[in-house]
Amino acid sequence: MVRHLSARDIDWTLLVIALLICAVGVLQIYSVTRGSDSHSAWWKQILYVLGGLVLMWLVLPSDYHAMLHHVPLMYMVSVGALLGTYLVGEAAFGSTRWIPLGFGLHLQVSEFVKLVIILMVARYLTDLRTDELEFREMLKLAGLVLIPAALVLKQPDIGTALTYFGILTVGVFLAGLHWKFVLVIVAGAALMVPIGLHFLKDYQKARLESFLDPELDPQGAGYQVIQSQTAIGSGGMFGKGVTKGTQAQLHFLPVPSKDFIFAAFAEEHGFVGVVLMLALYFVMIMRIVQNAQTAPERAGMYICMGVAALLLSHILINVGVVAGLMPVTGIPLPFMSAGGSSIWTSFLALGLVNNVRLRRFVN
Amino acid sequence: MVDRRLTWVAGLVFVWGAAIFYNLIKLQIVHHQDYVQKARDRQEHVIQIPAARGPILDRAGRPLALSLSTQSVDVDPRKLPDLKLNASLLAGQLHMDEAELYGRIKAACDSHRGFLWVKRDITPQEVQNLRGLNLDWIHIEPESHRHYPKGTLAAHVLGGVDFEESGNAGIEKTLDAELRGEAAQARRLTDARHRGIDQQLSNEGRAGATITLTIDERLQFVAEREIAAAVEAHGAVSGSVVVMNPYDGQVLALASYPTYDPNEPPASVLDPGRANHATGVSFEPGSVFKVITLSAALETTSLGPESMINCHGGVLTLFTRTIHDSHGGMGIVPMRDVLAHSSNIGAIEIGLQVGREKMYDYVRRFGFGQKTGIPLPGEDRGRLRRLPLWGATSLASISMGQEISVTTVQLAQAASVVANGGLLVRPRLVLKNSGQTTSFAPPVRVLQPETAIKMRQMMEGVVLVGTGKGARLEGYTAGGKTGSAQIYDYAAHHYTHTYNGTFMGFAPLTNPAVVVVVTLNGTHGQAGFGGAAAAPVFRAVATEALRILDVPKDLPDVQRATPTLIAKNQAIDDLAIADLGSKQPNILEDPADDDAAAAASPAQAAAAPAPSQSAIPNFRGMSLRAVLAEAAARGLTVQPDGSGIARVQDPPAGAVLHAGERIRVQFAR
Repeated sequence: MVRHLSARDIDWTLLVIALLICAVGVLQIYSVTRGSDSHSAWWKQILYVLGGLVLMWLVLPSDYHAMLHHVPLMYMVSVGALLGTYLVGEAAFGSTRWIPLGFGLHLQVSEFVKLVIILMVARYLTDLRTDELEFREMLKLAGLVLIPAALVLKQPDIGTALTYFGILTVGVFLAGLHWKFVLVIVAGAALMVPIGLHFLKDYQKARLESFLDPELDPQGAGYQVIQSQTAIGSGGMFGKGVTKGTQAQLHFLPVPSKDFIFAAFAEEHGFVGVVLMLALYFVMIMRIVQNAQTAPERAGMYICMGVAALLLSHILINVGVVAGLMPVTGIPLPFMSAGGSSIWTSFLALGLVNNVRLRRFVN
Repeated sequence: MVDRRLTWVAGLVFVWGAAIFYNLIKLQIVHHQDYVQKARDRQEHVIQIPAARGPILDRAGRPLALSLSTQSVDVDPRKLPDLKLNASLLAGQLHMDEAELYGRIKAACDSHRGFLWVKRDITPQEVQNLRGLNLDWIHIEPESHRHYPKGTLAAHVLGGVDFEESGNAGIEKTLDAELRGEAAQARRLTDARHRGIDQQLSNEGRAGATITLTIDERLQFVAEREIAAAVEAHGAVSGSVVVMNPYDGQVLALASYPTYDPNEPPASVLDPGRANHATGVSFEPGSVFKVITLSAALETTSLGPESMINCHGGVLTLFTRTIHDSHGGMGIVPMRDVLAHSSNIGAIEIGLQVGREKMYDYVRRFGFGQKTGIPLPGEDRGRLRRLPLWGATSLASISMGQEISVTTVQLAQAASVVANGGLLVRPRLVLKNSGQTTSFAPPVRVLQPETAIKMRQMMEGVVLVGTGKGARLEGYTAGGKTGSAQIYDYAAHHYTHTYNGTFMGFAPLTNPAVVVVVTLNGTHGQAGFGGAAAAPVFRAVATEALRILDVPKDLPDVQRATPTLIAKNQAIDDLAIADLGSKQPNILEDPADDDAAAAASPAQAAAAPAPSQSAIPNFRGMSLRAVLAEAAARGLTVQPDGSGIARVQDPPAGAVLHAGERIRVQFAR
């Protein structure tokens, strides 16, 4: 099979756009960490991107059908790794998400599990071979997603868990779940909100409240929202310029190289920069959707759409949080936020898309 | 199917994307300026850099008050990692009581205060030690501390400052705004942890003005020394001296005793040392006021210095009042002798000829009953009853200095009118403000120059042959007037046997360079009369003033004979005896007390004290303090010289001292 593969067939447009976004991310990381303790973050990020490219390359040769075949094993390994994180993980910023690997590296298992969820959803829906997904089947699939999602929620990491459900939702929706069930699910989710509130931790409740009214506690829970909005708003039309974003440079903006990197970018590059950046992401998603449409069969389509759903949920949640549309959930912006796990997961996801693309010509 | 579903997904994404764009436009374009302002509010802090408080100098530029920069320690009690431990650390470093400091921090912490001074004005060594600890919860703030290098010198002129360095008395209070200057403002860019990143001056501010006073430090010192010695020697309660240039109103010295050290925080609000007896406390002047009566008479009546006045042998009954001259009484004498010997009856006779309206007019024109405008807070304007409220005998009382109250500085202002040829000149304390010579109100003519000259000549008579012989200067002519007023007891509504002894004078006579007014409040006995107690202070201060001002002598230098015994019949007392049998309430008394005054016993004994002829004790071997105490107890006047132990005294022990005479005591180690 390997002989069919050609480097020309890789989606170069997609890759160039991803690398462009990475470059902007590196510049932004350099800008906001300049003069701080983590001033070396920008070249670490370059190393992560290079590592991500290698990982993407490694994913290409093995046929995605083979991967789908091994989904049960991957699923069990994932759940085991998440349990392991729960047991031996290192806590940081009040949440246990990372497994120490030595050399100062920390692996965030929940990031890689996203890919397994994509594959699992793809396989499950492919195996059903139906155009009208039954509600019972959907519940089974949801149950399978719920197990790792529950472990991630326990860390606690609502944002990542939400992306799992984002993949599931897009999958079952495309698999033809009947509209009435879609409405039932929407209604059920709406009902879950007040019940879910009881299970939220205090800081999560505070975040929710401060989302509704950031000025309620400007030095506490509302701080991040206020600082983020101030950064974006003060950026204006053309921004303050690279390394001139005072909100980020003076440490008012929280985690400006990771979850709030978009706010830092918006402050330094203004509305024009933001529009260009979102346009890049839009083209990227559209390329992935196009790959889904050219996929040889259902399985490939589900994988590509899963990746699109993953990236889309990340972008929409991250930008939504930063722009003050959603309560604060810590979730990285793909290809931009500093951090190895996020970058590698994103490139592996691109690898999956390219894996499908390389095999689009069935002969 | 899938394509339709994809369209739906795309639609949802579009809606969410539109929401995000809507928010971004709102943030970055519509409300852009609001957020710019918000960011600035958070990142930039306007900090005040207080200007250094301006120094106060004497007329020659010698510093009287300076601001030194010091350091103080404060903490935010809410941010202390461990109260007990931190308190013990700070207490150790700053040499403080640990339990007390812990208590203060605990209390501040419990009341959620975010700021607490731990210790102010710490030593450089302590600063270094604290900085060495490198702990971010210890804040060391630069502060400014007011310092008065001369201690108590000119305390009442300078006043003082509180812990925030704002003036709370004296010139420090009057000119607080000028001295304080204007704080510079800087915009400081701070990060989220309140660390300053960059700083930019937005307002240069203005340094505190340098205030140059008219005070001469040397003369001030002499005035304070003399009044302190006199108050102690006569057992008086307080005393004050004002030395003034009669032509331009510059106050060369203004002393009040008891005094205080402005470097020390006030012990209590009622600290008697804080009262400025030269400007803030008025008293009945007594006979010095006859100068005003006679000046008015020279201008408004046909009387002249040689006009004969009937002194009725020392007793005059006016309506229901009987007025005595305190000494033997005179018959018909020229007006000059009325002043020289301070006849109350004579002054009343003259006053009656002047009349109520004109008398009132002249008292006002001399500046009484009004503030002089000297730039010191709490000036007393004295009490002068309005004309319609004058009683039947008010004219008589005022003619001899009763029913009116004045301050020492008002007397200096009035004496200047006579000294400078008839112009009322307002006293000035500030010579230069930031190098600019201050402007002053133009003088107002009160007397014709001829009147002033006549008055000066008559006032020389006081010093030469009258009650003010103790004021005679060596090498200079001088004029003056003594005054001794019984102090009115407000509680018992009668005059007591304590006195206000006053001397107001000027020298040299023909072209006076200085006016000196001395007041002693609460003296006892004849030794406490103006001629005995205040005139020698005048002599000492005026002599020093003329020497410092380098005024050429107008008398040949002759060695004055050793203190001649004054003939007994040449009485020097000039007591303005109150009519003790009068039901007339004192002006200084609250009018509401009138009934009580009428009810007061009318049978008060005449106040002439027994002539003080006492044997002189042996002072030799005693300390200065002991000598003064002993002399005060015996009602004697001592002129101390030198310091240490009394070695020589003149006259010797056992000799008899006559009224008004002083004992010279030489001290040595």
